[in-house]
Amino acid sequence: MTRLIRIIAPLAGLAAFAALGAAPAQAQDAVISAAKAAGTVGEQSDGYLGIKGSVSADVRQAVDALNIRRRAAYTDLASRRNATVQDVAAVTGCQTLASRVSQGQIYRIGNGDWQVKGAGPITLPDYCAAAGH
Amino acid sequence: MRLWTRSGQGMLALPLVMLAGGCIQVRAPEKPIEINLNVKIQQEVVVRLQQDAKDLIDNNPELFPQ
Repeated sequence: MTRLIRIIAPLAGLAAFAALGAAPAQAQDAVISAAKAAGTVGEQSDGYLGIKGSVSADVRQAVDALNIRRRAAYTDLASRRNATVQDVAAVTGCQTLASRVSQGQIYRIGNGDWQVKGAGPITLPDYCAAAGH
Repeated sequence: MRLWTRSGQGMLALPLVMLAGGCIQVRAPEKPIEINLNVKIQQEVVVRLQQDAKDLIDNNPELFPQ
């Protein structure tokens, strides 16, 4: 019995850890979706999320955490394609601005002002034109 | 008589001015060409990476919540 507990306990611990790891990520997504709807968080042409004005610590943490996860994915792709992380992020930024910003959400190109997406497509930076949008 | 000669010289001078103008115009595009080259390099990067970027978004939707 003690042996069984010895085996099960670490497994249960692992399961709890996995659940803990997954739950905050989902909670973060919900926080970000809400902030996007509220117009305080938006996509940027550099491939990362940005914050407009001041937000709660929860929102800031969620944005920081997601951007770190994005950078890890960009870094992985960059190393596989022999490109810079910045270029991979910017090309992904073209895609997110083109297809993942809904009407009414905010977005930002370069160091420009935050803008609210209207009914039409976003006017992308010139270099994005090659992506066929 | 002199007046006529002068106007004749003027007519000869006109193509010369146009030629000179042509020479100046050859110099003018130098700067825009430089800028275009920079943009072209970036667009090549976009072309090379765009499918990978699309796949990255499709395969990691949790990184791009809407």
